[in-house]
Amino acid sequence: MEEVPLLKTLNAKYAGRAVFLGISVDVSLPRVDSTLKSKGMTWLQLADGKGFDGQIARAYRIQGTPELFVVDRTGRLLARPGSADQIEARLLEALSRAPEQ
Amino acid sequence: MRHPTTRLLSALAFSAVVAAAPAAGGGTAAAQGAQPGPNVTVADIRQMVADARKEVETYNAAGAGRTGEHPAIAWHASIWRVHARAPQTDAGALAAIEAVRLLVRAELWDRAHAAVESLEVNDPAWRRLPSVIYEEAIARKNFEYATATLSRTAASTMTPPIKAAALVIIGRINRRQGDLAAATRVLAEARAAAPGTPQAEEADNLIYEIEHLTIGLPAPPVSGTPRNSRRPISLASFKGKPIVLVFWAST
Repeated sequence: MEEVPLLKTLNAKYAGRAVFLGISVDVSLPRVDSTLKSKGMTWLQLADGKGFDGQIARAYRIQGTPELFVVDRTGRLLARPGSADQIEARLLEALSRAPEQ
Repeated sequence: MRHPTTRLLSALAFSAVVAAAPAAGGGTAAAQGAQPGPNVTVADIRQMVADARKEVETYNAAGAGRTGEHPAIAWHASIWRVHARAPQTDAGALAAIEAVRLLVRAELWDRAHAAVESLEVNDPAWRRLPSVIYEEAIARKNFEYATATLSRTAASTMTPPIKAAALVIIGRINRRQGDLAAATRVLAEARAAAPGTPQAEEADNLIYEIEHLTIGLPAPPVSGTPRNSRRPISLASFKGKPIVLVFWAST
């Protein structure tokens, strides 16, 4: 979870221009809620309490965390950053593309 | 590092049960002291590999001041001996794999290849050896040796999971080189070769990744009601804005 401070910074910096969406693969929903609170992760958070077998985790074939994806303005996969410090460059790339008419 | 007395004692214990185990020529004291007894376990191999890596680290840290042959050579010989004695056991298979990996990480390519080529094509070690060969190819940014060796293995082995394991790595190489059609074809062949095995599952996951998670494809659906919001969301609800998906777990 060492990426959380950077995510916090980026979420604040790009508020209104980009969306951060967390998806927890925890198997305990109370655990998710307590982590969100204790770490101050205020961006949108989905969780189904099913771990790697959850529907979204399966759809993205998640086998470990953290795992990151950047989705462009049109809903297409733009990048799969290997670490949190690669997010911003990809986000800028996504933002530089004109919105679809 | 273990206390020298402990090491000496365990070395004596080992040599008591190993009849005339030959010491690797020019090897280090540690590698020679690690002559294993007859009932070597997977945990023993992991310990030997850990000891070997520590010694390699020390050797590498010495930089220009280092002397003698690379410690990976003697450690390879020691660990390989476990495989030679019991190739059909889990420990024996792991020994072969880790012994080759030591040579690959030491960039001793020719020695690594000689060890790979000495393995019988149905040897259980082949189930995981392809990923070590892949590791070498990535390190060298050259996939010719890996492709040739794995193609030969896939074609000649009589053991389905070995065939699948070799094909999976060929598929990974194809994908890495951008030939997604070839990757999908060979991965489907891997999946069909050994249904129900971990190798088939890996092939299946890779095919899925190519078909659903390749950059440029529509992102797979994401929807639900966030823990911290009342309004249900989906990717479409943010259309027009880039989205960063962060899969995470509490630690």
